[in-house]
Formats: sequence, structure tokens, C-alpha cells
Amino acid sequence: MSDTTHSDAVFRPKPSLPPPPNTVGVVGWLRKNLFGGPIDTIFTVVGIWLIGTLLVTVYQYGIANAVWEANSYRECLDTVLPNGEKVGHSGACWAGVAVWMNQYIYGRYPDPEQWRVQLCLAILVLWLMPFWLPRVTAKIQTGLSAVLTFPFLAAHILLGGEAGSFLMLTSSLALALFVTVWLNVITSYAMNKSVGKLVVELTGMADKDDRLHKWVLLAGFAVVFLGALAYESSWDLVAVPTTDWGGLFLTLCISGIAIASAIPSGVILALGRRSKMPVIRVFCTMWIELFRSVPLITILFMAVTMMPLFLPVELNPDKLVMVIVAVCIFASAYMAEIVRGGLQAIPKGQYEAAQALGLNYWKVTTFIVMPQALKLMIPNIVGNFIGLLKDTTLVSIIGLYDILLMAKASGQDPNWLGLHAEPMLFAAGVFFIICFAMSKYSQHLERTIAGGYGRR
Amino acid sequence: MAVIEKGGSSSGSSGKSALAFINDERFRSVFYQLLVGAIVLVAGYYLYANTAANLDARGMEVGFGFLGSTAGFSIAWSLIPYTPGDTYFHVFLVGIGNTLLVAAIAILTSTFLGFVMGVLRLSKNWLIRNIAAWYVEILRNTPLLLQILFWFLTVFALLPSPRQSLEPMTGFVLNNRGFYFPSPQPGDLFFLTAGAFVIGIVGAFILSKWATKRLFDTGQKTPVFPISLGLIFGFPLVVFLVTGAPLAFDLPTLQGFNFVGGGSVPPAFCALLLALTIYHSCFMAEAVRAGILSVSHGQTEASYSLGLKPSWTLRLVIIPQAMRAVVPPMISNWMNVVKNSSLAIAIGFPDLVAVFMQTSLNQSGHAIEIVAMVMLFYMTVSLSISLALNQYNKSVQLKER
Amino acid sequence: MSMDTSSVDPTSGEYVASTMSDEVVIELVQVNKWYGEFHVLKDIALSVNKGERIVICGPSGSGKSTLIRCINRLEEHQAGDILVNGTALDTNVKNIDAIRRDVGMVFQSFNLFPHLTILENCTLAPIWVKGLPKAEAEKIAMQYLERVKIPEQAAKYPGQLSGGQQQRVAIARSLCMSPNIMLFDEPTSALDPEMISEVLDVMVGLAETGMTMLVVTHEMGFAKKVADRVIFMDQGEVVEQNTPDEFFNNPKSDRTKLFLSQILAH
Ligand SMILES: Nc1ncnc2c1ncn2[C@@H]1O[C@H](COP(=O)(O)OP(=O)(O)OP(=O)(O)O)[C@@H](O)[C@H]1O
Ligand SMILES: [Mg+2]
Repeated sequence: MSDTTHSDAVFRPKPSLPPPPNTVGVVGWLRKNLFGGPIDTIFTVVGIWLIGTLLVTVYQYGIANAVWEANSYRECLDTVLPNGEKVGHSGACWAGVAVWMNQYIYGRYPDPEQWRVQLCLAILVLWLMPFWLPRVTAKIQTGLSAVLTFPFLAAHILLGGEAGSFLMLTSSLALALFVTVWLNVITSYAMNKSVGKLVVELTGMADKDDRLHKWVLLAGFAVVFLGALAYESSWDLVAVPTTDWGGLFLTLCISGIAIASAIPSGVILALGRRSKMPVIRVFCTMWIELFRSVPLITILFMAVTMMPLFLPVELNPDKLVMVIVAVCIFASAYMAEIVRGGLQAIPKGQYEAAQALGLNYWKVTTFIVMPQALKLMIPNIVGNFIGLLKDTTLVSIIGLYDILLMAKASGQDPNWLGLHAEPMLFAAGVFFIICFAMSKYSQHLERTIAGGYGRR
Repeated sequence: MAVIEKGGSSSGSSGKSALAFINDERFRSVFYQLLVGAIVLVAGYYLYANTAANLDARGMEVGFGFLGSTAGFSIAWSLIPYTPGDTYFHVFLVGIGNTLLVAAIAILTSTFLGFVMGVLRLSKNWLIRNIAAWYVEILRNTPLLLQILFWFLTVFALLPSPRQSLEPMTGFVLNNRGFYFPSPQPGDLFFLTAGAFVIGIVGAFILSKWATKRLFDTGQKTPVFPISLGLIFGFPLVVFLVTGAPLAFDLPTLQGFNFVGGGSVPPAFCALLLALTIYHSCFMAEAVRAGILSVSHGQTEASYSLGLKPSWTLRLVIIPQAMRAVVPPMISNWMNVVKNSSLAIAIGFPDLVAVFMQTSLNQSGHAIEIVAMVMLFYMTVSLSISLALNQYNKSVQLKER
Repeated sequence: MSMDTSSVDPTSGEYVASTMSDEVVIELVQVNKWYGEFHVLKDIALSVNKGERIVICGPSGSGKSTLIRCINRLEEHQAGDILVNGTALDTNVKNIDAIRRDVGMVFQSFNLFPHLTILENCTLAPIWVKGLPKAEAEKIAMQYLERVKIPEQAAKYPGQLSGGQQQRVAIARSLCMSPNIMLFDEPTSALDPEMISEVLDVMVGLAETGMTMLVVTHEMGFAKKVADRVIFMDQGEVVEQNTPDEFFNNPKSDRTKLFLSQILAH
């Protein structure tokens, strides 16, 4: 073809022209998205009217006519607006919400002791922080230790008083684990090695047989544990009975424990339901189907009316404990179905490949199938958490003072009689922020996971 | 693999140890099952023994005999007629009636609202799309119980007293005692109108079958929709007028301090229905949206390029495919409506849980029997719904290679 | 309709004689299209005669799909005129319907309706759009399914067929509307090699019946065998158009040469 080279017409692309002005830019966007046709225009006008009315109402009620300082609801209602009229129901009485704020959050937990609640929250956040620190290893162990032992530590701190020996041991174990986790974080960042490695090196066992390391580490941990035990024994905290727990703190307590317990129990139930052993399968299936098909409120009623019958009188179980057990049972059944869904999505080839490598059932499940399935399940698990958090409000029906019952109670306080809308709106805002943030975070995780699979 | 392992363990180690059988797969399976069975039995026995002791101490007996005795308390509102002289079993039925009534209406309204919101979320109009999205996000991220209490405490409890009732339309009255509406009092010949209505529905059904057959046989289309409307509404109307309009309305009227006559529902019913409708419409909307999005755009394009108009494309190509994705979550939402109607108890609407699991249980003390009966009811509803769902899934499953 | 010329390679052998007439069926005048700010089609002018077979090729993203999708208004153009059978494509819904009825389209990804059987896929539009009785529509559908050599699959669902079979059904489904013009958008690029030839086979057979065809494809063998004209596009414009002979043996533009050297290299 070289002989025709000189007769070549050289291709010069035509310049790109700007599009007709009414199809792009602000005008184009408006035409496309808001005023595409007569019907569209009507919709847009109705929409603008709707939003306008809503915003004006919210502004009027929530800000312009709102009363921020008052000593009673009557005072709120009688506050005189600049135009000479009384506020009445045209403005929010945020003053009442402000007065009750502490109880919406802590319930009747005594004021001077509320630092304990804050401390627990701080410990939990610190404990889970290594998840987001890229250089720290052993994330799974960190997460497991938090989920399994933090509740005991929190219970010890929050309950105070004389801890029984069981709570003493478990909460000391939790404290020791927490300290270890953070020692690990510090050594990881300061010296770039895990705490375990450091201990082994310091004791001069690094060049000895690997099997000995385990004992060294165990001994090291025992020292930390004894330290924690000694420290906790010296605590002298005022006892705060669970009947005084309440507000958002109680809501998060119940839902947190239910969420933490749901994953392990859900995994076990799901594996049981897929098991080849009929006794186990039937038992797990019945459990799951029963508790999924009845409303949570019936399970709660069952807990508070039947649990006292089922247990010896001497045990006299705490109402909060019974409620938590009920919510956990409920959560386990839902989580089991999510886990089962995730397991079903794992192709059979994965099991076969793993078995062909000689791994037994438990190893296949823990190392091959579960990690993959859990990743797939994250959006559903988070969705379930959101549902559980919202469902926790049902405990108010059987008389636990969670944030919702507190909000309702403030409207029954003689000083604030009839103050209903404001506390409800406040509680709704709290739930919305938590749930919406969780669902956005789960969507974000979903995208990163999908991206991760794509790249690999 | 398993065969080799099994063979290896039984032949290889049988000589060495008498405990070799613990490595046998079948033995392990039986062992685990026996273990679990034993644990369940022991736990069951423990609970049973405790319960027996506790009941003994309280001097009570387990049995359903109490169902025949008089309940004695009154129920604020019921679909099924009830008087305090009725039995506990009757209370159970009254509770079921109320639960099913509120759930059925909420299912209808929330499904309708959900369809509208789901379609609006896919609107080409940016504003409408976003309004619908925020509606869904805000309302599904706040607890249902909170919404119920909100509507009840701030709207329906603040309604005026009967003397200052709101009356948006003659005969429809709203006050803090409830919502009153005209109740129809059919005359002697009204059965003819009702019959005409039934005939109209059957006729419309036959018409649509016939129209399809006609289309297939001759290729001619029939305006099924207007004719059906005429059959279902026009025909009964004609019969109604010809028979001399045999239907009177009993209007609620103010007598003393309250309204009498007409039908009525308590404020709690309205609050519950409103909250259930709004809350569940969000989930329905999500199901509808996901279902429509699950049909790829290529399907629409292929249909258009065959010359099918947008409305036929929707009817023949998109909806049949979207329904497969919409129906399963939709039905599980319906199930949730039934379950969530039990939140009625928080605002004092007498549903099954409120009248039976709370009032009857507190009064009679028969916790075990009552809890079992209530749970059985919900399980029956749930299992029959999931049975229907499985049947549906089987019937629409796409054939793949 | 001699469809039984099932050679091993459908694109080898005799050039399929053209049945082109002088009547113009598609006319594009100075067509311009933008996606937002992006100018995809620049001043496209093209006129297609009845019975003419046109192959459109060009690098990825050059606007080939966009061009043929404008012809049945799956995409809207912002400037210029498109006339099909003398009817102008504008916002008039009746015109769009009429043109879509007369223009068939085959997609890269088949787009069969998964909830309908093969036969129902083929009879849906004839029954609803043309108002044919079902029996007649089925008779016609079976004829076309025989032409694409899969009458035995009529009762199956699309999901049960191979890619090549699905694409042949898609062709039959379009033909059931007895269109005068057929558009193909890379009909073979989602297929395995052995399936490509079975689909090309059907398309060659269709060319023999005198159908007006616009085919976006990179199957140069097919272009050589059936095309009356090959159009080469780049960056939204027609760079060169010529008979296949001239196009392949004596390309004018340096851009065309570069493209041909790349595509014929393997
Ligand atoms: N819906 C759309 N929105 C925005 N840009 C688009 C859209 N569809 C196509 N484009 C852009 O327009 C250009 C032309 O696309 P087109 O699909 O017509 O290319 P093509 O020649 O068919 O390419 P290919 O051979 O890869 O199919 C591409 O750059 C593409 O990114
Ligand atoms: Mg393309």
C-alpha cells in the first residue's frame, strides 16, 4: 500500500461544536429535568408549592415561633410573639425538650454517675477504632474480643456496686483484652510490629521453638489480666439498678447487645438449618420460623410473662435482662435467614475446591465460605441492624424507659403536660440520623466491596 | 474424598485403638444429634419442672378450660359484636377480627401509596424524584412505633371535642372520640344492586378473556377498560336507580355530648392505620422501584423497535417482568403489616395482642396458653402467606439453561 | 430465498448480487447530535436506496451505534433531518410509531423477552401492532424460525438457548413484522466464533432477499460479500464511504488505512 501514500487524504476531524443552547447548561437541565412537557411542568409547580409550604411551616413552627426558654408548657403556649399573638400551637416548645434532654439521653441514671455511660461509649469507640487503622493487624480478633467481652465490662461499669465473681472475672478479662488491643496498636505504630512479636523478642524467645511462643504470650496476657483484676477489685462504684437506666442510652444498650449477639447466633442457626443432621436441622428451622413469624411484641410479652414461670423463683430475673434475652432471640432468627441467604450465594464450586484441598467441614466453613458470605451479606446485615434499632422502641410498651417512653413521659410531667410533638420530633430526628447514616455507610461499603471484587 | 477418609480411618486405625469409631462420619453425626437432642430435652425438662413448681405455688393449672369462662371486661371497639358477658374465646375472635381488619385496610392503602411513590421515585422530573426519595428515606428511618404515637398524641388526641367536631363533608365527622361516617342501610331490593355488581365483575372478567381470544382469533382489539368500567359500575347503578334507590344512609348525629348513629372508628384506629400506611408504603415503594429497575433498558428498546407503543411496552414487556421482582418483597411486606398491626397496643386500640395477650392474660393469668394461642395465630397467617409466595415464585420462575 | 447455501464460512464465496433500486428510503441531512456537551454525530449526510446493503465500521466510540439508533428514534438528534420512507422523524408520536413498524432492529445483546417463549417473542408485535390473528402470526413466525433454522426451539424460553440461537431468534422476531429496512448493531460481537458464522449465514440469506440493511459490524468478510457500500466513521463523522472493493483495496484516507491495518492485522 506504500505506493499510494502520497495520494492520501489526511483525516482532520471536524471541530466539536457546542450543542444547541437550549439542550445544555442551566436551561437544558431545567428543560430536561423539570419542564419536559406540560404534565412535567404541572408536576414541578406542584412540587415547588409542596416544598415551599413545608419549608415555611417547618421554619415557622421550628424556628420563628419556637420558644427556647420557659419553665412550663403553659409558659410556652402563653409566650407572646412580636405581632402580639400568643404562640399556642404555632411554635415548638423546645424549652421543654431542653429541660428533659438529659433524661432523653440517660433516663434516670443519676447525674453525678453519667460519666460512666460516657466512659463506656469511649471504651467501645476506642476498642473498635483499630478497624479503621490500616497498619494494625488482627482486626478479626479485635472485633471478636469487643463483641464477646465488652458487654461484661460495660455491665460492671454501669451497674457498679458489688460485682459477683462471674462479672468480676469476665469484665477483668475484657479490660485486659482492651488494654492488649491498644498495646498492639501502639507497638504497631511506634515500632511497626505487633505486641505479640515484641513480647517474644523482649523475653529473648524469638530464636526458640515456635511452639514455646504460645506459652510466653499466654503468660504475658495472664500478667495483664491479673493487673486488670486487681484494678477492678479496687473499684468503688455506686450501684445503679437497671430500673434507673433509660433514654437513648438504654435503647443503644439493648439494640447493641442484640446486634452483637445476633451474628454468632445467626451463623449457628443458619449452619444448623443447612445441616444434614435432621435433629439439628428441624430444631433450627423451627426456631427460625417461629420467631420470624410472630411480632416482636409477642416475644417481649412472652419474656415478661412466661420467663418468671420458666425459671426458679429464687432467680428472680431482672426485667431488663428478660427483655434483652427476648430481643436477642428475635434478632437471631432474622440474622439466621440473612446468613442463610449469604451462604446460598456462595457457589458450590467453592465447597468442592476446599474439600478437594482436604479441609474438613469446620475449616471449610470458617476459612473459605463464611468470610466470602459475610462480605456479601453486609448490606443486609446493616439493614437488619437498622430494623433492630427501630424495633427496640417496642420495649417502651412493656414499660422500659427507652428514649421513646421518656419522650412520651415528658408530656405527662405536670409542668409539661401536653408536650408531645416536640419530644417525638426530637426522638425521630435522633433515630433518623443514626439509621440514615448507617444505611448510607452500608451503601458505601457495598460499593467498595463490589469494586474490590471487580478489580481482583 | 469422604469415602477415602472413612475407609482410611476405619481400616487404618481399627487395630490401634478401640476409640477409632469417634472419627467415623456417621458416628459423629449421630453423636452430635443425640447431644443436641439431649440438651434440648434437659433444658425442656428444666423449664417444665420450674413451671410446674411455679404454677403449683400459685395454685394454677394449665389448660384451655378458662376459654369458656366469662371475660367480664369491655372492649372499646370491635368488628365482631362483643359484650362483657362473652367468653375469653370470644375475646380471642374479637381480637383476630380487629387485627385482620386494620391489617387488611393498611395493606390495601400502603400498597397503593407504595406503588405511587415507587413510580414517582423513577420520574424523569428531578424535583418529583427527589421529593419521593426523601419521603421514603425520612419515613422508613424512623421507628413505626414512634410514628404511631406521634399521629395519636399530636393529631388525633388534639382533635376537638364532639361539640366542636370537624365535618369536612356532611355525614363525615372527626373529633377526639373518633371518626364517624354514614353507615349504609340497604333496603329490601338492594340485593339486586349488589347482585348486579357481582354480575358486572364476572362480566368484566369474561369480557377480558373474550377480548384476548378475539385478539388472537381475528387480530381485532376490544376497548376492554371502558366496557369493564360500564359493567362494574354503570350496570349496578342502572339497576339501583330502576329498583328505586333502595339504600338509605344512617348519618351520625350529635346527641348530648356524643355522636350516635352511623359507623365509627376510634382515634387510635385512625392513627394506627395512618402510620402503618405511611411507614409501609416506603418499603413497598422500594420494592416497586427495584422491580422496575430490574428490567433492563434493552427490553424497552427492543420492544420499541418492534413498533410497540410505550403503553403496550409497559403492559406486555415491562410489568410482567417487573412483577417477578416486586411480588416477593411486596408479600413479605404485607406479612410485616400484619405483624406490626400489633403495635396497636401502644395507643390502646383493641387488637389481638391488646385484648388477649394483655387484658385477658393479666386477668386470667393463663400466660402459657394465651401466648401459645396468639403465636399460633400469627404463625398460621405467616405460614399460609409464605406458602402462597412459594407457589407464586415457582409459577413465574424464568426457564434457564 | 435460497437459504440452503449453508457453506462452512458464510462470508466466503460469490459476492451476493445487489438488487438495489433508485428509490431512496432513508435520508439523513446534516444530522447533529450531542450527549450533553459531547458532540457525537457531526453533520452526517447519508442516503440509502431501497435494497441497498450498507456496512458501517469504525473505531469504538465513533458514533456508529448512535447513528443507527437515531434512524428508529431510540436516540433523539438535535439538528438536521432524518427521513425514513419520506416521513420525517420529529416529536410526532404517530410518525415515530409508523417508522418503527417499518424498521427492524437487531441488538448486540439480543434483548429477547425472557418471560415469553420463542414463538411468543415472534408473535407479540404482529398480534398487537399489526393486528394479525394469533394463528396467522404463529404461521408466519414459524416460517421465519425455519428460515433461521430453529423451528424446533419454538416452545422454549430465551434463557434455554445458546447465544447464536438467541440472536437468530432476534432476527426472526424482527422479520415477523415484515420490515422494509433492517438495522443491525454489532449482531455478532457478543458471540463465540462458531456462533458468529451461523448468525452471519442468516444475514447473508437475508441480503439475498433484497432487504435494505444497515449493519454495524467489524466482520470484514461479510462486508466484502454483501455490502454495496462500506462507511467508515471516526469521531462522529463519516470519514470515507465507498464500494467494498475500493474501500478495502484502495482506501483514500490515512485514517481508514490505519483502521484497516489494525483490523486486518489479526
Ligand atoms: N447515553 C449516552 N450518554 C452519553 N454519552 C454516550 C451515550 N451513549 C454513547 N455515548 C458516547 O457517545 C460516543 C459514541 O457512542 P456509540 O455507542 O455510538 O459508539 P460506537 O461507535 O457504537 O462504539 P462501539 O464500537 O464501542 O459500540 C461514545 O464516546 C460514547 O461514550
Ligand atoms: Mg456500538
